[in-house]
Amino acid sequence: MLNQATVQRRGRAIAAQVKTEPAAVRWLLIAAALGFMALFVLLPLAVVFVSAFEKGMGVYLASIREPDALAAIQLTLLTAALAVPLNLIFGVIAAWAIAKFEFKGKNVLITLIDLPFSVSPVVSGLIYVLIFGLHGWFGSWLNEHDIKIIFAVPGIVLATIFVTFPFVARELIPLMQAQGNEEEEAALSLGASGWQTFIRVTLPNLKWGLLYGVILCNARAMGEFGAVSVVSGHIRGLTNTMTLHVEILYNEYNSAAAFAVASLLALLALVTLVAKSVVEWKTKQKSHVESSPSVQEEIA
Amino acid sequence: MKIEIQNLTKKFGAFAALKSISLDVASGELLALLGPSGCGKTTLLRILAGLEFADSGAIRFDGDDATSQSVRARKVGFVFQHYALFRHMTVFENIAFGLRVRPRKLRPSRQAIHDKVQELLNLVKLEEMAARYPTQLSGGQRQRVALARALAVEPRVLLLDEPFGALDAKVRQELRRWLRRLHDEIHITSVFVTHDQEEALEVADRVVVMNAGRIEQIGTSDAVYNQPATPFVYHFLGQVNLFHGRVEGDKLNVGGMLIDKPDGVQDEAETATIYVRPHMLEIDPRPNQHQHFRATIKHINAAGPQVKVELITAWGAPIQVDLSQERFRVLALKKETEVFVSPREIRVFAE
Repeated sequence: MLNQATVQRRGRAIAAQVKTEPAAVRWLLIAAALGFMALFVLLPLAVVFVSAFEKGMGVYLASIREPDALAAIQLTLLTAALAVPLNLIFGVIAAWAIAKFEFKGKNVLITLIDLPFSVSPVVSGLIYVLIFGLHGWFGSWLNEHDIKIIFAVPGIVLATIFVTFPFVARELIPLMQAQGNEEEEAALSLGASGWQTFIRVTLPNLKWGLLYGVILCNARAMGEFGAVSVVSGHIRGLTNTMTLHVEILYNEYNSAAAFAVASLLALLALVTLVAKSVVEWKTKQKSHVESSPSVQEEIA
Repeated sequence: MKIEIQNLTKKFGAFAALKSISLDVASGELLALLGPSGCGKTTLLRILAGLEFADSGAIRFDGDDATSQSVRARKVGFVFQHYALFRHMTVFENIAFGLRVRPRKLRPSRQAIHDKVQELLNLVKLEEMAARYPTQLSGGQRQRVALARALAVEPRVLLLDEPFGALDAKVRQELRRWLRRLHDEIHITSVFVTHDQEEALEVADRVVVMNAGRIEQIGTSDAVYNQPATPFVYHFLGQVNLFHGRVEGDKLNVGGMLIDKPDGVQDEAETATIYVRPHMLEIDPRPNQHQHFRATIKHINAAGPQVKVELITAWGAPIQVDLSQERFRVLALKKETEVFVSPREIRVFAE
């Protein structure tokens, strides 16, 4: 017995040696990774907050409470409040169609969903200007009917929807493909209606993937700059989102105010990261339970 | 409930999954659909359930046309190969699902649902597992939950798609005996799909052997095993040796062995194929009074209830003979020795 234990221990020690690199290499790699992160991520983040509070709490609060800043915050929240639910619905529908049905043009649809990721946001913005702008396809018709899309709130919302629409769909497609149709078929065979099946079976299975997609989608919707910048027209208090407002303040050498508003966006990023980690942790925990060894077989 | 299936046809693109299938399932019967993968057995089951729809043909449940009824309207219980349990629900909630989704007027009271689920948990012997999630159960337990869930809605028919296919051999054997006992208790008309001949022969009242979208034979276990209707059934159910014989007058010549020409062979036929099960061949060290042919022993496997002897015939064809352990000891067979082989029972299919 004793012998066996020793052998086992030795075996384990050998295994450990084989698996790991020399200590020096390990420390060098970890230090390099940490150093890089500190220099390129943590330092700028710290600078944002330090600069924001440079001239004291009073200036910070004033910069945020100023009417133009409030309007920008409102517009950003409005844009996200419209873009995220719409993309949520669209994402679920697209993922459902792709994962559960076979149809012609499926690969084209998958590629199209990825398009906003591969196109520069500035180009996305320009597309809307070309379609809805004064000299665009629908420009004269819109002008006649006195509908403003470009250089107005609808244009900003449209551009944001376009840029953020892959997030939810991309998150759900692999998840739904992996889960297959069987649970839905089982629900239907047990007498559930299509709607009951969706609410009671499909949606609960997608819960965490959906939340993850929504968090990423929201972060991008609030942080989008390029596409929104092209279609907004930069009208203060009307068509400036937070990102555009930061740019204007910065260009006016009002760096304390610029960083104050920027700190709100940075804060949002931090909240997003925490939420994302929580969701990831929850998902992992769930899959851990799933992969845990099953109990002994026992049939009476 | 009685099921009548008439001339059912189904194509997937250019592939014909079912070619004019007709079949009656008697009320209270346990029927097996047996065949190799791709033979159409699962497609037939899914069409019975209403999960797929036939291109043509008709299905009647107790005389009522059900051909285009939705899965929801058919009131069938379906058990999936990979269980398809709702992973976010406990065992209790899984079983209660079919009752909870009923329209309010038809929905049983909370207490009635609770009682029904308890009753089913007793039936599948999983009383202790009600609060567990599917991932915390073994494969066999999951399949029993799936069965209880299907039975909860009191289906008119129970359809099982390879119900034990994902389980390991030992559990599979226990569970199929358990299913047989369960069926003897509750007598619900049941159809199950399997590719495992042993499973079909052991569990089912009747076996439907399918191949390439057609039914080859319908009969009891005994009938399909002992009186196979086609060469395919012979091959699919158990081991078989094939001999090609030449027709000579009213005899068949198989490697010098002359046997009476059986009724199945037409007069003008020149050759016929003879099927003999390995345990229907006899080995003798010396020529005896029976018709026989010569063969050389190539391999002997004495592990198991029967000794499996592999031989090469004088004309170079490999054959297998199964002997009892006692007979094997009496004969004292050795590799590379020549012996005389005589068939006790043969079956001929004309070409």
